[in-house]
Amino acid sequence: MIENNDKEFEIRIASSSISSLFNDDIERQILSPLSCLREYGTHWSLEFDLPLVNKKDIKITFDESSISVEAKLKETYSEEKFGKKTKFEYFKKTITLPSKIDNKKTSAKFEKGRLKIIIPKTIFSREIKIK
Amino acid sequence: MKISKITSQENILLVGFPSNGLVGTFTISYLIHNLDMKQIGEIDHLDIPPTLFIEDGEILSPIRVYKKNNIFVIISDLPLDPNLAHSFAESILEYCKKNDIQKIIIVSGIETINKDLKAPKIYGLVTHQSLEEILYTNQISKFLTGSIFGTDAAIITIFRKSKIPTLILYAECHPFFPDPEASIIAITTLAKILNIEVDTTDIQKKMERLRIQHRNLMEETIRALQQQQLENQPSRAPQIYR
Repeated sequence: MIENNDKEFEIRIASSSISSLFNDDIERQILSPLSCLREYGTHWSLEFDLPLVNKKDIKITFDESSISVEAKLKETYSEEKFGKKTKFEYFKKTITLPSKIDNKKTSAKFEKGRLKIIIPKTIFSREIKIK
Repeated sequence: MKISKITSQENILLVGFPSNGLVGTFTISYLIHNLDMKQIGEIDHLDIPPTLFIEDGEILSPIRVYKKNNIFVIISDLPLDPNLAHSFAESILEYCKKNDIQKIIIVSGIETINKDLKAPKIYGLVTHQSLEEILYTNQISKFLTGSIFGTDAAIITIFRKSKIPTLILYAECHPFFPDPEASIIAITTLAKILNIEVDTTDIQKKMERLRIQHRNLMEETIRALQQQQLENQPSRAPQIYR
């Protein structure tokens, strides 16, 4: 057993799959943030987990059906990957949405290192008359 | 009604495994570190895929047992799918019977509606009335309404039929992102229940880095949880898309 006395607090990670390791771009020092997209009746809620980031360093861009988030870390994050120490400076990820984005009504909020983007659903429909 | 308080003599088992916000993983790992608990064993199960971790050249099993004084800990680093959850719960029961465990405390996370980000709450659920006193004494709100699925549900199902009372602590958290902040309330609540001192400064300093460091484990956990949810509610589409 290794004595814990002078050891820093570390959690042993179970890497039952190594597929997600490839989401990070080691060459360009870019981390892929966790994100989740949830559907509600009238809108989509898209969240990104962006720890070690200041609000002013976040850039959100979008086109008709996708949203990209890029953020500079406030300090370099180092991690050992494949036995090699790698450094990361940015978060970056693009999410494709199942419907079109209404750019005028989309809003974003950043709190406790989590970015929440609310995307109202756009409806291009015609009325059905009830007989 | 039989009311029991935690006394220093009785053997208590704490259980942590990857679930919502990785609250159980962060809380139990931190207690192991902070209390300088010693590993006393491992739990092997034929259903668990052969996985080992190497740390500083030491070979570690994904499910380990730690002990200090009368406090025992079982921690799983593997997110458990529905079949594994039942095997895991049965292994815990077997371990409790062999080691004269009188109480179990499980730590997990839960998402609640209208969550106040500034003041996350903790809820408690007990399998036996004898543990109600712990909730009252430590001002833990009782988990009154909701549904539970996954490993928590597997353990509760088995232990509510046993003679070993179980308390499940649910800290409000973000279910899909690692939430070490939510684990701080779980750590302080556990410390109060066990009447021990735990300094949370170390985990507070590292919260942001822990969130980055454990992205992979969170992803694996969500996959396992969704599998469990789908098995319980086969007609319902998952709410999360990645």
